[in-house]
Order: sequence, then structure tokens, then C-alpha cells
Amino acid sequence: MKSNIVGLIFTGDRIEDLRDLIRNRSVAALPMLGRYRLIDFLLSNMIHSGMHNIGIIMQSNYHSLMDHIGSGREWDLHGKRSGVTILPPYVSNTGGGVYDGMLDALHSNLSFLRRSSERYILVTDSYMLYRVQYDEVCARHIDTKADITLLYTKDRNVRRNGWGRYLNIDPDGIVQSMEFDPTIPHYPNTYMSAFLMRRELLIDLVDRAVAAGMHHFARELLVQLLHERMYKIAGYECPGEIWSIDSVLAYYQTNMDFLNTKVRTHVFAADRPIWTKLRDEMPARYTSTARVVNSLVADGCVIEGTVENSILFRSVAVKPGAVVRNSILMQDALINRNAEVDSCILDKQTTVREGTRIVAPRDFPIVIGKNLTI
Amino acid sequence: MIRKKSCVAMLLAGGQGSRLGILTRNVAKPAVPFGGKYRIIDFPLSNCVNSGIDVVGVLTQYRPLELNAYIGSGAPWDLDLNSGGVYVLPPYHTGKTGEWYRGTANAIYQNLEFAKQYNPDYVLILSGDHIYKMDYSEMIDHHIQHKAAATIAVRQVPWEEASRFGIMNTDEDFNITEFEEKPANPKSNNASMGVYVFSFDKLYKYLEADEQDEASSNDFGNDVIPAMLSAGERMTAFTFKGYWKDVGTIESLWDANMDLLKQPPPMDLHDRKWRIYARNIGMPPHYAAKGAQVLDSLVTEGCQIEGAVTHSVLSANVTVEAGAQVIDSVIMPFARIGKGAVIRRAIIAEHAVIGANAVVGEEEGDIAVVGSNASLEAGTRVTAGQQVGE
Repeated sequence: MKSNIVGLIFTGDRIEDLRDLIRNRSVAALPMLGRYRLIDFLLSNMIHSGMHNIGIIMQSNYHSLMDHIGSGREWDLHGKRSGVTILPPYVSNTGGGVYDGMLDALHSNLSFLRRSSERYILVTDSYMLYRVQYDEVCARHIDTKADITLLYTKDRNVRRNGWGRYLNIDPDGIVQSMEFDPTIPHYPNTYMSAFLMRRELLIDLVDRAVAAGMHHFARELLVQLLHERMYKIAGYECPGEIWSIDSVLAYYQTNMDFLNTKVRTHVFAADRPIWTKLRDEMPARYTSTARVVNSLVADGCVIEGTVENSILFRSVAVKPGAVVRNSILMQDALINRNAEVDSCILDKQTTVREGTRIVAPRDFPIVIGKNLTI
Repeated sequence: MIRKKSCVAMLLAGGQGSRLGILTRNVAKPAVPFGGKYRIIDFPLSNCVNSGIDVVGVLTQYRPLELNAYIGSGAPWDLDLNSGGVYVLPPYHTGKTGEWYRGTANAIYQNLEFAKQYNPDYVLILSGDHIYKMDYSEMIDHHIQHKAAATIAVRQVPWEEASRFGIMNTDEDFNITEFEEKPANPKSNNASMGVYVFSFDKLYKYLEADEQDEASSNDFGNDVIPAMLSAGERMTAFTFKGYWKDVGTIESLWDANMDLLKQPPPMDLHDRKWRIYARNIGMPPHYAAKGAQVLDSLVTEGCQIEGAVTHSVLSANVTVEAGAQVIDSVIMPFARIGKGAVIRRAIIAEHAVIGANAVVGEEEGDIAVVGSNASLEAGTRVTAGQQVGE
């Protein structure tokens, strides 16, 4: 069916608490749950909501994200009447280049907004992992005759890092105000940095806000709109669990949460698969010395050692006598004989030498950078 | 305007595969799952693209729906091309005539027009029931060097088994002097693999002649190859040395799956230079639960394992509940093994559900099979060699 929502994913924000994990990639490109990247969940939400015109605003370090998205084929976004548009930063005679905030980015990409024909636009930041039907958000938006609908959650998972934006919502579901990074939040509703409105209203708002010297969508424009009370701004509560990947610890805990079968069953609902770039690996191989419990293991792994409470991405090798506990091993990691890894996040293509022990406290996982041998 | 292609492949995928019993009741043999995440047809299709052949006609006839859906646009094999790609070729009506494929040669004959569009020099003929990794370009080079009308891929089989195969007798230059179908006293152990390269003009000529011959059974092995030999055409054998397995029977399909578990495996599916591509169904990594025990096995994405799995192949999205045991078995996609069930020397087909404490297969004897979508009640026993359907 024809969709009336265009999607726009903002991948610009750098979240410094993610440290080495985002040294060479954007937050949206963070490898997640054994075979995905964070953006896969947003893209899948959109295609399962019937959306097939999607723009991705890129800012810095976007090589890995470009490589991942490719032609958009894995998400069925490579057609003539559908597609994914990569929107890298560029310099024009009116500015451009590096964006100061989402508002800047929207302004630089107004031509994409104008060129689209859908009546509504859904804009989302890319550091949260959640499942939602944007078509239902839109239906509610129309029902409630809102001008702007903000997505929020009451899930306390997202508060792990101690920063956030909280919405004060009245009993009618109308957003009254918003607070930023409070020491103690006054409201249980975390704004998810995602909103829906008429496309033409957004174009108008962005034009006016940039003319008034604003850069940030939430902290400047939204705050002003809430204050002016000219528009009806509604909240939409996203059901289910939501994760905010805003620090190394949050990244670690989010992945670990998926060792819980209930969580996986919800997020990986059989009728709404999460699509991702393929590697065409063979199934994982277990040998006679393998011992694997409470772990997620992707295709292409070869396991000859012990793996407990861990997440293994594609083509990880664990040699005999090696022990992996409470860890996240990204693709092509190699754990040699009698090595031990506990509470670590190993980035892609890392090698742990024979007999090496790396043991971190569980509330302070160590990140081993890409391509390192230790 | 269709561009000329040096070589076009035609894949015979129309056979019923009746020796696979209940496994091919609802699907054509090439669509039968293999090795956890593949289907049999992935092997010849991947071999084609890895060999640089990008036009493949897949001749279908028996229960083609699932196979058609699987092939789709050909994108998983990079065969969704403007200049070529994969085409499903069912039998069709031409106005005057129209009929089912009568034999392998007749199937190709009815689709000569497909190949002709590309004005090829050579046609590669493949079948959809073999598991192997083969560089067809080497065979085509061999064909060109020997200035042959036809080249037949052979592999050396143990002498005691030679009488089960079509045997090619050759001179020291690989020229085929004689073809014997299942000879009682074989003179050679070069068995045909059912992989042929023909020069297109010769193929055209001999298929036309074969069609005119009312006594012919329209089969490559029985009719066309012998006719070319007796006409004195230059026929050469190309020796293939790698792993090759006919998976036309329950026993051999099970065997070939078990071969993947050998250490080291006789056929390396990890080889990055020769990937076997497959359509992906988008499943998360598999989960081995707290009580899981998995040894000597292949496990595919989407599986959920709470029981014990030993020396088995688990395809995508298989569930093994707590206390269940899977030993020496092949479990196809989306099958569910209930609590306390014991699966031994068995093939469990797609979407089958095995009830709690059921026992399928035995330590000795033939392979037990539970067909696709079958549902076994709790405590059911399926003995060695038994096949249970929907």
C-alpha cells in the first residue's frame, strides 16, 4: 500500500561516552546483537510500517554506514518507487558542512524534504533501539488532530546514563513542557528524539527557526514551540522495552539484555524481521571441545573452547582451552588457545594471543579497539 | 538487444526426486534444504557465478512454486542482471505443440531458443541434485583446448562402486571412446557427474536429431552422448578431483550433511574465495541456553537450543527444547523438537513439530524421516527407516 510517511534518520550526534566504539563509526553504525548495526532496527521499523522513502542524514565517520546501507537492497529499498537516500554533509553558498544540531541538518537537507511527496514526515535520531509501528504513530497523530507528535517511553532502561530529555505530559496526552539533563528527572517520560508532523509544517518551522539563528531542534525550537502554545504537541508512548545506546556501559548492557529470551522474542518478532547486510557465512561450527551456554552465536563462528554469557558476531573463532565470559566479540575476533576474556568488548578483527588473560569488572567493561592484537 | 555470452548454463531442476520420498512430496529436489542454511540448488548456482557464468536457465517442472520463490530475482547469487541473470524455464505451449519435458535432452531441446538468444559458443548443462564446489571455467578451458564437441565431467569412484554409475572409457588423451551405463564389468572408474559442456552448434544438431528419433528416450546419457560417440564426434572427459556427492536418496542426503561435520570437512564452506550463496531469511544469531549442550555440530542463525545436540546439522530457526536430544541428525528450518524427545539418525523436515518425549530413529538401521509440517504427538515412536508425513 502507498505510504503517506517519509522517514528521516539523523546519524549526526556524537556521544562521547561511547569512546572507542565510535572512533571510526557513527552511533548508527554500531554493531549490535551479533549481526546487526543499530540503524537496522530503525530501518526495519520503517519498512514494517509500510514506509519506502527514507533519507539518512550523515555527518562524520560515515564510511562504515555507507558501506552497510549500500543500495538499500537488503531492506527492499532499492526500487524505482522506493529507496533510501544518503544525505552526506556538503557545503553550499548558504552554509553547510558540519552540522551544529539536528535543526542545522534538517535545514541543509530541505531539498530532500521538499522533493518528497508524502504528507507526513517521521524524523528520528539513531542512538535508541526500539520496535514501533510508525504507521500507528501517524494514525494517532491524525486522530488526535495534533500538529506535532513526540515519541516517548516510560522504560527506565533508557535512563542508565543519567542524561536525557523528559516530557511533562498532561492527562490528555498533550506535552506541556520538556526538561533537559536534570539531575533528578521530574517526569517519567523520556523523549526518544523522534517526532512526526506534516512535512510542510516541518519545512516551515525549520526555515523560520534557522532564520532566527537556532541550531538545535529540541533544546531551541521545541522548547520555544512548547512555550508559545501555538501548536498542539502530543506525546506517543512507545510500548515495550527501549534501549538508549549512549555510553560504553549502556552498549554492553543492551547487548547483554538480549540473552533474555523474552526480550529477543519481542524485538525479533517473526512477522517483522530485522534485515541487515549479508555476509553469506556458513552456519556456526561447534567441535567436540566446545562448551557454550547462555550465549548468542552468529553464523561463521567456529567454537572449540568455552563461551558463557556472551555475544559472538559473525566469524568469531574460539580456540580449544580458550574461555570467553560476559563479553561481546565483534566479527572476525580470534581468541587463541588458553586465552581468557571476561567482561570485554572486542571490536572487529581483534586477536587475543595464546594464554593472554583480559579480565575486567562487569560494571566497567573494557573495549579493545579494531584490528588490535593483544 | 541481448548481448552475446560465451557460455550459458542450463540447470535441470524438473525431476521429482522420488527417491527422497516424503522430503520431495511438496517441493522439487533442488529446493530441499541442505547443510543448515542452503538448498541444494545453491551449489550449482553459486558455482556458476563463481565461475563467471552469469546466464543460468533453471528448467522446472515438478512442484516448482517453492523453487521459483526461492530463486526470485536471483539477487542472492548476484544473478539479477540487465545482461543475463537467472531465468526459471517451465514447459510451455508453442501453438502447435506443448508438452511436459520427456527427458533431460528433451527439456534442453524445448529451451534451445532460450540459449540461442545469447548466441553462445558453449552450453553448460547441470543438474540440481549434487553437492560440490567446482570451477566450471576450468572445464570449459579443457573443452576449448581439446577442440571437443562435448566434454563430460568425471570423477574417479572406487572400483567396487563403478558398476553403479555411467562410466566413461577414455584413451590417454582423455578422449572418450565408450560410454557404458552401469556396466557389470567396468573397464574404467571414471564416473559421469552429470555435468556437460557442449559446443552450441553440436548440441543444436544432436538435439534436433534426437527429437526426430522416435525410438529415443530423449536422455543425455542414454541417447545423445552415445549418438555423438557413434557419429565420431570428439568427446573428452574432464576429471574433477574435489568433493562431490549425489544427494538423490535419503541416505546420501543424510551422509552429505554428516560429511560437513567431519574434522577437517571434506568440503570447506568457509572458503571466502568460493562462497556458497543462499537466500537469507533474516534471523538473529542462534541462542544456546543455560542448559544447552552442543558438540560436533553446525548451528544456523535463529535457532534456540535448550537441549543436547550432538553431531547434527541444525538449520535456521530450529528449536530444541529442554531435555531433548538430537544425535546424528539433520533438522531442517523451523522444526521444533519438544521436551525430552530423542532424535537419532533422522531427518526432520521443515516446520515439523516433534511432541514431547517422542522418539524418532534408532542407533542402527536406515534413516528415519519426519516430513515437512508433520506434527508428532507426545510420546510417538518412529522407527529406523520409517517416514512420517503430514
